[in-house]
Amino acid sequence: MRKGKVKHQVPDLFVTFCFLSSALFYQSTLLVRPLAVPHKHQEQPYLLTARIHSSQNLQASSNSKAASLHWTAERMLSVLLLAMGPVAYFNPGPVIDYSLAAALTLHGHWGLGQVLTDYVHGDTKIKMANAALFLLSTITFTGLCYFNYNDVGICKAVALLWSK
Amino acid sequence: MVLLVYSEVNQDSNLNLFCFFCFFFVFRTLGRQSVCLAKPQYSVLYRHVAPMGSTAKEEMNKFWDKNSRLNRPMSPHITIYKWSVPMMMSITHRGTGVGLSGAISAFAVAALVLPGSYPYYLDLIHSLSIGPFLTGLAKFGIAFPVSYHTYNGIRHLGWDMGKGFKIPEVYRTGYTVIGLSVITSIALLMI
Repeated sequence: MRKGKVKHQVPDLFVTFCFLSSALFYQSTLLVRPLAVPHKHQEQPYLLTARIHSSQNLQASSNSKAASLHWTAERMLSVLLLAMGPVAYFNPGPVIDYSLAAALTLHGHWGLGQVLTDYVHGDTKIKMANAALFLLSTITFTGLCYFNYNDVGICKAVALLWSK
Repeated sequence: MVLLVYSEVNQDSNLNLFCFFCFFFVFRTLGRQSVCLAKPQYSVLYRHVAPMGSTAKEEMNKFWDKNSRLNRPMSPHITIYKWSVPMMMSITHRGTGVGLSGAISAFAVAALVLPGSYPYYLDLIHSLSIGPFLTGLAKFGIAFPVSYHTYNGIRHLGWDMGKGFKIPEVYRTGYTVIGLSVITSIALLMI
């Protein structure tokens, strides 16, 4: 902690950014990178943190860990899918076929969901896009299961494709 | 949006930290770099802070509502910012992901809609006598996106664990991913 004036613009903006980003992700505590704490309680108009609004409890609207849990689930599914590769190669069969169908569809569904979140804006558009995605994923999973049941199955299909 | 602020020019610690926090924000890792303001000695800063009570989603919606209502043009970003290897790898990861997902969905729809069986259609393609070069090309076209997305996915998982954020590491792991993808795809071609 330094006494006295804040000299540079960049560290202020940097602190602002840190403040915002850390405040967004640590909802229960208020975090800030220490910049300068005035020893005399005077107004320091150039202290940019003064103009930052932050909520101690950003989850005031909904105390939900849904987003955070979703993030973790996405990563766990990715690891699971990674592990399924060798299993599918060494142990092909209906169990891995259906597991692969489920994991691939879900991984794709969540991935495309993130793409939509990034590029689609506006409440109605977001809802429609997500509905369309849900429909697509449902059809995809249905198709893959149908293929597993009525046809050769995913593992065999890849093997046959590659043999040509 | 995902692609921005990779800085390759500098070793300046401030900007490196800035990049780190961008990753932090985008990839949502849980590295603690700040000080808890809940302690009493920081109470002086609370005088300047007002509770907001809105979520990130609400804030983003407000931004887009206002700017589209005012018909404002998008500020140039990817058209003016110098493209870097990490940026290109990031969008390629997204591109391969979307592409592979689309291919899987198309396959699933075909499975539901088309009357014949899979071996039947494979024989149909066989009979077209495509030739080894085009066949190899098609195999590469399938193998490369899968390899790249898989290897880069592992790199992403590393970031999610908080590892490999230093700029030289980003480049090193990036080139490794590209190299491995090419090698794996060519190897798969040979099978």
